[in-house]
Amino acid sequence: MTIQKLADRVMEGARIDRDEALELYLHAPTAVLGGLADAIRARKHPDRLVTYIIDRNVNYTNVCVARCNFCAFYRPVGAPDGYVLGFEEIFRKIDETIELGGGQLLLQGGHNPDLPLEWYEDLFRAVKQRYPAFRLHALSPPEVIHLSRLSRLPVPQVIERLVGVGLDSIPGGGAEILVDRVRKLLNCYSKATADEWLDVMRHAHLAGLRTTATMMYGTVETLEERLEHVFRLRDLQDETAGFTAFITWSYQPEHTELGGHEATGVDYLRTLAIARIVLDNFDNLQASWVTQGGKVGQLSLAYGANDMGSVMIEENVVRAAGASYCMDEIEIVRNVENAGFIPKRRNMHYEVLGDPIFRERAVPRMLELAVARTDGDTSRSPEIDRYAARSAAEKAARRSSAEDKAGRTG
Amino acid sequence: MASVIGAIAERLSQGGTIDASDAHAILDTHDLIAVGALADDVRRRMHGTRTTFQRVLEVHCDGVPASLPDALAAGEVRLVGCPPSAEAAIAAVRAASALVGAIPLSGFALADLQALAGGGTDALEQLCATLRGAGLQMVAETSVDAVNDAGAAIAAARRAGLLVTTLAVRALPADRGVSLLGLARTLQDSLGGFRALAPLPRTSSTSLPTTGYDDVKLVAVARLLATNIPSIQVDWALYGPKLAQVALTAGADDVDGVSAVETGMLGPRRSAMAEIRGNIEAAALVPVERNARWEAVGG
Repeated sequence: MTIQKLADRVMEGARIDRDEALELYLHAPTAVLGGLADAIRARKHPDRLVTYIIDRNVNYTNVCVARCNFCAFYRPVGAPDGYVLGFEEIFRKIDETIELGGGQLLLQGGHNPDLPLEWYEDLFRAVKQRYPAFRLHALSPPEVIHLSRLSRLPVPQVIERLVGVGLDSIPGGGAEILVDRVRKLLNCYSKATADEWLDVMRHAHLAGLRTTATMMYGTVETLEERLEHVFRLRDLQDETAGFTAFITWSYQPEHTELGGHEATGVDYLRTLAIARIVLDNFDNLQASWVTQGGKVGQLSLAYGANDMGSVMIEENVVRAAGASYCMDEIEIVRNVENAGFIPKRRNMHYEVLGDPIFRERAVPRMLELAVARTDGDTSRSPEIDRYAARSAAEKAARRSSAEDKAGRTG
Repeated sequence: MASVIGAIAERLSQGGTIDASDAHAILDTHDLIAVGALADDVRRRMHGTRTTFQRVLEVHCDGVPASLPDALAAGEVRLVGCPPSAEAAIAAVRAASALVGAIPLSGFALADLQALAGGGTDALEQLCATLRGAGLQMVAETSVDAVNDAGAAIAAARRAGLLVTTLAVRALPADRGVSLLGLARTLQDSLGGFRALAPLPRTSSTSLPTTGYDDVKLVAVARLLATNIPSIQVDWALYGPKLAQVALTAGADDVDGVSAVETGMLGPRRSAMAEIRGNIEAAALVPVERNARWEAVGG
């Protein structure tokens, strides 16, 4: 089928299959892909609203046993710069988030063997006791699987326990490319296979949670495998209708074991556009300004995106890999309006909460995103000693700490 | 608004051109895809998929080094910065000229040379002639908004033997640059000899920077308005690879400011050359390296 005929089918609202999507992705001019994606965005969001959320991207630990080779953020167990945030540190981050008008944490972290399920339960419970209306968008599918393995409980039971203490929704992190050949090459097959990732989301949706879906592209996958990823998400969405949004971003190579180079800006816009065309059962597509920068982030709104993502406040993972863009609420709103859209605040369920906060009250300007903890802060989380250590390194650290204390008191 | 763009498209398809009022209509529209496609059509009629770029070694006029990097592959050595005096400018050119060999040497902003000359057109011509004698071959930056009486100043520089091939914009005025793009078109009509127009401003407010939409639409308007200037140029270093690459799909066909030395910022696995070529090819275009004299170089 010619590109024109395929484009006509998309404009008529027809669902395209894998071969048709590949033909468009490989051969359609960028303007044609953008035009189709923009038309679908306009059909789904005729009110020209572009939403964003004020939340904070908190990484509670950087200690991780998964060792994905595309990740610049993790530290192995026992590393001197490994950290676990204390509950009070997390409360302080929540206070700062609320000050900026936010109502949610996006809480994700490494697969730390010394944080059992009970640590998460205690944290979530404490957050909800202190901030009853505050939302926890937390723990990507590989983290849920990690907890399932640590606790030897099935995934549905882990989700049930987390929901019981305040988990509100699950972020779509850790999806990378949902093709096992790729996952093996990225050394992330063992943290979650493609089927396992999708299965966590299926169970979450069945439990009544809404989740997002993501795709990190530009490592070792083929274009066919990128599309396979998108089609697997479309299939699950047909089954459960539990995804609220799709977010794609390019692999950030700096300081990673895998290395290489980042995919280009045009590649990002084409990938976003083809996702909008294929994912006819997703309402919302986010712009990834945090990896593409504010300018290409704004251009995303012409290539199918209807959401500017998060003000974010804090970001650690892509910053570790070389991207350090910052947009506060004022800047996001300015970009949305400059592109001819109407900016609205939303929650994780994409319910509109209202107009920009800074127009209602003064909020501090944000010139750069915060980080999990300041350089040189090597303090230990005071809570961690309440839970049994599992790793040899953590057991040794506790022995050493106990000996120090004994020495001081002896 | 869509009908306005449609009418402009219709006119362009019949070989027509756009005027200032069309340019304003394009800058007002939010239909970025349609605007980009209009400009891309014109660009492809003029250049097909050919996309030129040049590697530039920037040398600050306050500190010309004793030598240049070994095996330097640059299409231009460019003296940047504003020298404190005409004598300092001449000394910097002499020092750089002794190093560059066959690589074209450019330098300075024409507006700064006007200020250094301190007088009228004759004084500027005299200074340019002295710089030409010291080894300078071309003016590095000719921002039409920064140079007084741009036509006369450019003519004076050219009479002195300096090449002036690219027109630029230093800062966007309230009309978002339409008047400056019109001036560039008029200068080409009256003087000729310009190879490129770089419409994106060389300075931008840090508190209120231009947006991606602003930049892409301005590139497109430049392509549509200044059809008498062969190339629309974007600066790789100033605007970044991503925005510059998108601009190549919306009217631009030339990339300036690609580093001639490896800074290490890209990591060990991808050189600046691989990066620029990869970006151009990823936009389904064909990279062609050129030098400051607009001669194709390399393979």
